[in-house]
Amino acid sequence: MSRTQRLVIVSLFFAVALIISVVENSLPPVPGTIPGVKFGFSNIAVMYVLFFVGKKEAYAVAVLKSVFVFSTRGVIAAFLSLSGGLLSITIMVLLLLIFRDRISYLILSICGAVFHNIGQLIAVSLVYSNFYLLYYFPVLLVAGVVAGVATATLLKIIMPVFKRFRFSNK
Amino acid sequence: MKFFKRTDLVIIVAILAIAAGLYFVYLHSAQGKEVEAKIFYENKLVKVVSLSDGKDYDFSVKGHEDVVFHVYADGSIAFVKSDCPDKVCINAGKQRLSGQSAACLPNGLVLRIAPLEDNLSDPDVVI
Repeated sequence: MSRTQRLVIVSLFFAVALIISVVENSLPPVPGTIPGVKFGFSNIAVMYVLFFVGKKEAYAVAVLKSVFVFSTRGVIAAFLSLSGGLLSITIMVLLLLIFRDRISYLILSICGAVFHNIGQLIAVSLVYSNFYLLYYFPVLLVAGVVAGVATATLLKIIMPVFKRFRFSNK
Repeated sequence: MKFFKRTDLVIIVAILAIAAGLYFVYLHSAQGKEVEAKIFYENKLVKVVSLSDGKDYDFSVKGHEDVVFHVYADGSIAFVKSDCPDKVCINAGKQRLSGQSAACLPNGLVLRIAPLEDNLSDPDVVI
């Protein structure tokens, strides 16, 4: 992939991440969840950057996304977004390093989503008092599995298209 | 790299089992804990209600008389009347374990159960 191609693809994914993030925020909050903690569907875009482009670019998109969140929703939301995003990418990078081709996209997506939520939960526990953690943890685990399955399913649909446009070298 | 492997199911089931396990740990640890209800209006604490009086009564928050809360003698609290269109707050039902919450977003009211010993007030932040 040439540098220009790389730049264009990363920018496109960043744009997609922002759109998903805006749409997600305009939905009414799910009752019983912590304000600010999202199921992280915009993390899907970050995952694709990791799968198709590279680690550095994935981290870049996650950080840029937090900057966007900072400018629209304030410092705490940005902190949540950043901790979720960074933990999620780090875990997926580690899994790829350890298991290489033996791990499936499904498990990678699920782990990415689950740790995105765990990262946000850790951030929330620093902001709020610790107590609510135990209550929300199961909810976020299940939400992570759902989001992970959704991500992997989307990926399965999108991957052939990517291959046709030679976006992917995998 | 494959999309899906049969062993993935085991991992998914394990994650869901952990979630279920943690939920039971939570239920267990939250039982019998002294709690109070905190009512927030647009992220500001406006009322703290004791839930251990063993009395049944209705009340409203000042300025929001269209929204009625009910405290039950068993130590739970619920939204019982609201002028909002969707009634999500009422459908949330009775809350009595710390950590639980219900919200009437059209009216900006959030009900949250907090442990009594938790003197740390929620930070006044808008997320």
